[in-house]
Parts: sequence; structure tokens; C-alpha cells
Amino acid sequence: MTDETVTPTEEVSGAVPGDVAGIRDAVSVRLPAVSAYLSVLRTATAGLAARLDFTLDQIEDLRIAVDEACAMLLRHAVPGTDLTAEFELTGQEMSVRVEVATVGVTVPKRDDFAWMVLTALADDVDAVSDSPDHMAIVLRKRRGAARPA
Amino acid sequence: MDLKLDHRTEDRLTIVEVEGEIDVYTAPRLRELLIDLVNKGNFHLLVNMEKVDFLDSTGLGVLVGGLKRVRAHDGSLELVCTQERILKIFRITGLTKVFGIYASVDEAKEAHGKDK
Repeated sequence: MTDETVTPTEEVSGAVPGDVAGIRDAVSVRLPAVSAYLSVLRTATAGLAARLDFTLDQIEDLRIAVDEACAMLLRHAVPGTDLTAEFELTGQEMSVRVEVATVGVTVPKRDDFAWMVLTALADDVDAVSDSPDHMAIVLRKRRGAARPA
Repeated sequence: MDLKLDHRTEDRLTIVEVEGEIDVYTAPRLRELLIDLVNKGNFHLLVNMEKVDFLDSTGLGVLVGGLKRVRAHDGSLELVCTQERILKIFRITGLTKVFGIYASVDEAKEAHGKDK
């Protein structure tokens, strides 16, 4: 996994951009890596999910999933740095990559409530460790995928 | 929206009213309140989550921490919650089996009264 380079634009191969021809539906949000800004990112997540006509339940799932991923990252973020969130919207799916700068830690814990909630609410979750001083989580949610509560 | 906290004691039950969003930013305030209540001898807590708009695993951790503290004094920490989107987080983590969860404050008070 450490040898893999994952970039959002390559990850969603064959993606058809949004409904408007010629517009790539990709949004980057950069915020201070502090917890006070998480509510802003949750709101942005909900707004973008609404563009794909996700149901209200799915929008809520995404809001929580992005929040959980970021909360996991913020524990290890270098003070004074930024958290970046890159959203990519295709016809049926939203992909979100959240990333922070860390010192030494590149893989999030997988045995706590946060990981449990994150993996239950997103359809796919990957912890991406393609850099020794960054920690990233990529999550995806598809519009049609029904998951039990 | 930020987090609003309030509390009152009725008989032996301390009711904690929570309104707003419980996340990694606001959860420490709830944690401090629960710790403070327990330190002051309130060992039977009822957390009303009917006005909670958002709850993540940080909030769950705070509630579990509170439960551990009151149980150390043979106390209880129970919840009022009927919101499906909040209950879903408890179900995912298996915590519906850990907390007593009631549909209203009155229902919880009645159940608590029977336990006395």
C-alpha cells in the first residue's frame, strides 16, 4: 500500500463529470486542521451530496463519515497546518479524500468507535499512506447502494 | 450550531439537556459537565438528546466515559432519544445494549422510579 500513489483524479477512472457538459465536478476545501472547523466541512459535504441527489439519510451518512474521518486525522495533525478535503462527484458516487500533515503517524487506528462508524456509513474506506509525513483517508459513497442501518 | 448544555435535578435523577451538535470540538464541554456532576455526587444521570442535531463517535466516547464514572458509584447514565439518525450511531457501535434508551424524560423517570 505504501508504494501506491493515489490521487483523486486518477482514482475515479472513467468518471463522467457532472451534469453540465465540460465541468469537472471536483471540489477542494482547505481548512485549518483544528476541530472548530469540522462543522463547516460537514455543511460543505451535505451541500455537495445534495448535488448528486443523495437521499437525506445518505447525506447524513456522508456528513458523519467525513466528520469521523477528519476527527481521526486531526488527532495526529501537525499544529498550524491545514486539513484538505477533495470531493469528486460522478453520476452515482461521491469520493472524498481527507488529508493532514503528521509527524511519523501515517495509519489511523482501526479498533475504535470512529473507524467502526466510518466503515459502516461509507461504502468503501481506504487509509492511504503514500507519504511518510501525511495521513489520508479516502471514502466513497454510491447513491444506489443500500446498506442496513 | 454550537452546543447548549443545561441540567436540573428531580428527586435523585439529574437530567442533562443537550442541544446542538456533539462533535470532536464540542464534546469536551459535555465531558466536563458529566465529570463535574459526578464529582458533586450526582450518580444517576439522564441525558436528553432529543435536541441533538449531530452526534459522532467522540460524543459516544464521552457518554461511555460518563457511564463508567457513574457505575463506579453504583449509579446510572441513561438516554432519551427517538431520533433515528442519532440512534443509528448507537446501533452501529452496539451501544444500544449498553445504555438504557427511553422515548421521553417521563418514561425514563418512571423506569428509574421503579428501579429505586
